[in-house]
Amino acid sequence: MKLKRIPWISYLIILIGTVIMIFPFLDMIFSSFKSASEYSKLNYSLLPETFVFDNYRMAFEQLKLSMLFKNSIIRSLAITLLVLLTSSLGGYVLAKLRFPGKKLIFRFVLSTMMFPAFLFFIPNYYITVHFPLVGGNNIFGEGGYGGLAASMAGLIVPFAVSGFGIFLMRQFIMNIEDAYIESARIDGAGELRIFFQVILPMTVPALATLAIFEFIGSWNEFIWALLMNSVNNELATLPVGIQMLKSHLDPTLTQPLVMAGLVIATIPILILFLFLQKYYVRGMMNDGLK
Amino acid sequence: MKSFGLRKETVLAYSFLIPILLFYTIFLVIPVVFSFVISLTEWGGFDLESMTFVGLDNYKKIFASDSTFLDPILTNTFVFAFGSVALSFIAAMMVSFLITRLRWQGLWRSIYFLPAVTTIVAIGNVWLYIYNPTNGILNEILTSVGLKPVNFLDNPSIALWAVIAVSGWLGIGGAVLILTAGLKGIPHDYYEAASLEGAGMWRQYFSITLPLLRPTILFVLITSFIGGLQSFTLTLVMTRTGGPGNSTNVGALEMYNQAFSFGNWGVASAMAFVLFVVIFIITMIQLIVFRKGGVESY
Repeated sequence: MKLKRIPWISYLIILIGTVIMIFPFLDMIFSSFKSASEYSKLNYSLLPETFVFDNYRMAFEQLKLSMLFKNSIIRSLAITLLVLLTSSLGGYVLAKLRFPGKKLIFRFVLSTMMFPAFLFFIPNYYITVHFPLVGGNNIFGEGGYGGLAASMAGLIVPFAVSGFGIFLMRQFIMNIEDAYIESARIDGAGELRIFFQVILPMTVPALATLAIFEFIGSWNEFIWALLMNSVNNELATLPVGIQMLKSHLDPTLTQPLVMAGLVIATIPILILFLFLQKYYVRGMMNDGLK
Repeated sequence: MKSFGLRKETVLAYSFLIPILLFYTIFLVIPVVFSFVISLTEWGGFDLESMTFVGLDNYKKIFASDSTFLDPILTNTFVFAFGSVALSFIAAMMVSFLITRLRWQGLWRSIYFLPAVTTIVAIGNVWLYIYNPTNGILNEILTSVGLKPVNFLDNPSIALWAVIAVSGWLGIGGAVLILTAGLKGIPHDYYEAASLEGAGMWRQYFSITLPLLRPTILFVLITSFIGGLQSFTLTLVMTRTGGPGNSTNVGALEMYNQAFSFGNWGVASAMAFVLFVVIFIITMIQLIVFRKGGVESY
């Protein structure tokens, strides 16, 4: 196209846009080095007068950052592994096996993606807290101290299956030749072995996409983690812990601390994303153009 | 595929599917039914014996003439979804059109996508600082050019738009991603042929790019509109209860606060259902539009 004649205008517009996209992140990083008194001062400046590292030290002390970090990592890893397993199992069955009810189940899986998340907060909160036979509950889900939410399970189990994941894996596994499965069967391989040793290795690109997608998604998830934290405050994840710090103490004093916490919570994920963005983008495109 | 016995295959399939079906039963099917039952009761969410059946009272309350749910909350929900989509779509059309012609396309795309992989808690808090009436950058800019400072989030006529601006900013990256994929799908020959015929840049854009991008555009617009109707985390972080008054309150946030701040699980579930039906109708319209608009396999 003829736009090549005026590329500098394109670069200019894109650069202005880049500043608008990145500025809030810079503001977050620089203000995490401002002292509380400078932060509440009348005039704004992007850069702190002197770089103060105290916020990070205090954030570590007041936030129980190591607990938050541990919870966030355990939760994200567990959800990611579970979703990889359930999605590839479901995807394999729906792509390669013939059985009555297959079309119905596939339609059902697709339709689960249409249900809005907010519909489930209320009933699933009750179901999770009153889950039978866990967290001290009896068979009727009563008498315990939090049901699934008595442990990390409350943060993990309600996210163990993803309709999007099953769909993604099915589309990918459909393209694998049936001959691989048939010859493995002729060689006498068991069905579990076919799945784990023949199919799974071939789906690594799709698994990578799904993994990065789920890891970032569950790292950032906020509302459910907030609800679980209200049952059991040992379950706070990074976003929840930081937000709680803010609402409890004097806002003007804690704001730079909050910024320091947010830097710790977001920057590792942003770096992870930049390194693996190829896989992430592929998943988004697939979602967009299925 | 050569079958190794339909019965054996069926047993195998269902034994692989058991965990998934069990999960969906516990965390999707039962909850939807349970949620509808709750919406017909008055309940604080404690033990099941304390539930009192009230029929359609909660729905009547929601649709009563003095109810705040229809106006301003549901109106706000639509304004919020419409405003965010409009902002992010217009920006994303420009950005995706430009970056497919620039070097370092992947880099630009990633930069515009950064907010989408950042937790809303961070986004909300940073923008609270940017909007801060005394020491935020926006008011620093306004006062330095001689304007009066604006209390973005305390002024009921501005607050909703202040949150919408952040939500629009947040949505640009996702739309850019899908639109650039759509743009790449348009064969290059079309443009070459058009150039040979003497069609200029704008002519090419309106006669080739826009019509061929139509399915992608439809997809972006409708899915992000539906997403916007469901969204409430940003509003929760930035204004907590949807204040001042109800000026920034949206449907899902009101449902959340009714249940988890005020303990009105019945009313909250009825609200969730009303909002769900609204979204469901729009989703159905989407399916019809997509089938007609040529988005494949819907």
